[in-house]
Amino acid sequence: MISGLKGMMVTLRWLGKKNITANYPEEHLPVQERFMGFPGLLWDETAEEPFCTGCMVCVRECPTQCMTAIMHDNPKAVEGKSHRRKIIETFEINLNRCILCGICVDVCNFDAIAMSHEHELASFARTGARADLGLLLEQGRKYQAETSWAPKGPDRNVASVVLAKRAAAEAAKAAAAAEEKTSAETAVENTEGSES
Amino acid sequence: MNVTLSDAIKLTMQLFALLNVAAFGAISLVWLERRFLGRLQGRPGPNRVGPLGLLQPIADAIKLMSKEDVAPGTSQRLLFYAAPILVFVPSFVVWLTFPLARDVVVRNLDMGLFFFVAISVLSIVGLVLAGWSSNSKYAILGGFRAAAQLVSYEIPIITMILVIGMLSDSLDFVKVVDAQATVPFIAVVPLAFVIFLIAGLAEVGRTPFDIYFAESEVVGGPFVEYSGAHWAIFFLAEYVNTFVVGILGALLFLGGWRWPFGADLPQIASVALLMGKAYFIVLIIFWIRATYPRMRIDQLMAMAWKWLIPLSFVLFLVAAFQLKFEWPWWVLTILSLGVLVVPVVVQSRKQRNPALALAVRYSANAVIVHAKPRPAAVIVDDVVATSAVEGTSA
Amino acid sequence: MTNEPQFDHVDMMLNMGPQHPATHGVFRMVLTVDGERVVDVTPHIGYLHRGTERLAEVETYGQVITLFDRVDYISNLNNELAFVRAGEKIMEVEAPERAQYIRVILAELNRVASHLLFIGTYAIDLGGMTPVMYCFRERERIENLFEHVTGARMMHNYMRIGGVKSDVPDDFVPWVRRLIGEVRMGVEESDKLLSTNEVFLARTQGVGVIDGPTAVSCGLSGPSLRGSGVAYDVRKDDPYEIYPYLNYKIPLGENGDCWDRYYLRVLECYESLNMIEQCLDQFPAGPIMAAGRRIARPPAGEVFAHSENPRGDLGVYLVSDGSDKPYRVKIRPPSFCNLVGLATMTRGAYIADAVAILGSLDIVLGEVDR
Repeated sequence: MISGLKGMMVTLRWLGKKNITANYPEEHLPVQERFMGFPGLLWDETAEEPFCTGCMVCVRECPTQCMTAIMHDNPKAVEGKSHRRKIIETFEINLNRCILCGICVDVCNFDAIAMSHEHELASFARTGARADLGLLLEQGRKYQAETSWAPKGPDRNVASVVLAKRAAAEAAKAAAAAEEKTSAETAVENTEGSES
Repeated sequence: MNVTLSDAIKLTMQLFALLNVAAFGAISLVWLERRFLGRLQGRPGPNRVGPLGLLQPIADAIKLMSKEDVAPGTSQRLLFYAAPILVFVPSFVVWLTFPLARDVVVRNLDMGLFFFVAISVLSIVGLVLAGWSSNSKYAILGGFRAAAQLVSYEIPIITMILVIGMLSDSLDFVKVVDAQATVPFIAVVPLAFVIFLIAGLAEVGRTPFDIYFAESEVVGGPFVEYSGAHWAIFFLAEYVNTFVVGILGALLFLGGWRWPFGADLPQIASVALLMGKAYFIVLIIFWIRATYPRMRIDQLMAMAWKWLIPLSFVLFLVAAFQLKFEWPWWVLTILSLGVLVVPVVVQSRKQRNPALALAVRYSANAVIVHAKPRPAAVIVDDVVATSAVEGTSA
Repeated sequence: MTNEPQFDHVDMMLNMGPQHPATHGVFRMVLTVDGERVVDVTPHIGYLHRGTERLAEVETYGQVITLFDRVDYISNLNNELAFVRAGEKIMEVEAPERAQYIRVILAELNRVASHLLFIGTYAIDLGGMTPVMYCFRERERIENLFEHVTGARMMHNYMRIGGVKSDVPDDFVPWVRRLIGEVRMGVEESDKLLSTNEVFLARTQGVGVIDGPTAVSCGLSGPSLRGSGVAYDVRKDDPYEIYPYLNYKIPLGENGDCWDRYYLRVLECYESLNMIEQCLDQFPAGPIMAAGRRIARPPAGEVFAHSENPRGDLGVYLVSDGSDKPYRVKIRPPSFCNLVGLATMTRGAYIADAVAILGSLDIVLGEVDR
């Protein structure tokens, strides 16, 4: 009897507490920084193109095989605006199959994909779970804007950095070649001078 | 007896008003229960349908009415459809004698209490009929269990009503309330209120006594074959019964519309006071529902026959002695509290101590694992320190 | 004149079907009852079979970790831990100390979360509808922490063969310390509400009794076994990770009934919280992933690793053929083996007790069926 009455006091004390429930959909609980929502493809501002080159590592490593991707030649590489010779053409994720495990992010070498914070993607359309490149880029853009995402390997992946590095390397090579030429000429002159 | 047309019209209007009061009470209980249970559990309860979810019971009613009416093929059709009515009608008929204020009553019988007892027992017949006419072995089992439970718990309720009748020297509801002008009977015989509440819970079929139709048990009891509107009638009858227990408790124990403000209140205030007390008892019933798990049927029956019935007879004797020897009222309080304390202490010793003792013993006799000394922490510099790339492919 | 009945005695068959509010998942229990007493119990499983072990044969080691998250979907990190330890055993690497501490802290938090769910659902099986709300409130707190550290509330995919995926955030230690205090209060609240409630005691004490030797021969493990007084706990008898460096108690029951099994889980919650505090006090700096090749391509061989799940002893038997995919992953699920004891416990009990006994075993069908 006494224990039961003690239990009733426990229940009664909750009358004074606030509701725990968040009134969805008026109130959305925020997600944490590292929350793994559906994937999003990330955008390289410096070259105005996605990071993704379509290398298909993520497609191969996905446990549920939810992605398909096709790459094509990157016109910007020819113009010299980007270091990526291949770029993604189409990319589709079947959101019904994605298990939000984050393996695609772990294996990507190009900092191209990240688990965005999107998790409310219910759709009325029958094919609403097919996320195409546009939607994925949009999710990635939103993720980049809202969080402090930065590429893990900027000197490999960010176009401006890579191009600048290449330009610097070429300049250095040109300078080195020029210096070699002048030293070779000087050497020839010396030998000629010594001969004559 | 001359029944004039005006009498007949007046009676019809009174019955109609009564039906509305009872139905409104039951519907408000549906809403109140879900909101109150939600508050006790830290959640809002219904809050979408209408402001504060007030239209939720209407939404429930519409949903239930619109469901398909399915009856088992091999059931006795006439009895199958008659059973809900048999359960539902007595819950409303007893309202005829309940006075909501001194003059707000349809028919104030001299034997109001007796009328209540006699009519309310009829719903047990309806439950057994529901179980039997469904022609399903689970329903029959449930129906018999329901009947056993309800019949067993009728005895303490009737005895308590008799005690109240003895104390107020009448079976008339109005006289019972008048007898509580100075002291409500809950102060005179608190044990009677406790027994009344527990037996009332069992009569209505509320946790902890709702095993005969509980969802998480094996069957749904006698209601298992009912759907839609028929089930809604059972559901409504349960809530009307809960409200009846509340009103009865308020009339018999809490002083009705009279205590503590006296008999000179305007009628509206009297009715409001009575309703307030009834809702208070109903909230206690909901509070008990939130806290306690369900009892098994044999434990339930054991509690009735081993505890409630002997206690109620003892209390009856004590009340009889008090009336015979004309002791002042507080002697009865002390005696009934004494009678209440004895079973509480006995039960606490029997059940609480073992669990508490076990709890302490399990903690104390736990196998203790001691920590080994830890080698000095080694920090290696030339290894990837932060996010590691999962090595699944080159 | 003898008193024999003149008719044949036929036991009734009662089906607690796959769809049932109280069977903790899709589980079918066929009870043979004689009046009110249960004569026999036949469990039917397989309704949640997802081919986990077959999938593990065609997925790489990193992908198999996601499978293990979902085997026992309530104690995900404990499952990951068992598999990752098997992988480390067969590759002969050891996770660095900081990674081990992180793993143990998260695994013990997951144990508390799992036991909270057990308390809530056990109460609601027996009709008490309030503890489930209180317990899930505490689970929310723990899952918030998991989201902060691993990125997911439930299917974390956080542990790796050789360590963990990423380091914990900077506010991990103060967050967890605060969390321990809050969760401890929550467990105490549900404990006070339920453990000594008379109706709860009447429903669970003396019900589903199984004694020690029978329990061992049925293959029980975890709190279900310790309720019968058998002191077997993988953390003590076959210690792994950094458990040898912790002081803790393993509570034992005496009667082997449902209440014992329930209360041991409550005590284990308190013990886990104490263990987490000790881990936080000892929390070292350092790397979180072992040195060496990133590709998990273990040499051919077979290895067995087990860990103490909230439900019992989870075993992973890993056979490798030298490639980057396991040849065979055999899971020894504790719930599956605990179900063997169900028939022994339920024989002779009332029908209403069958629900209480099944609940006290704390099975998860994802584990039973894989």
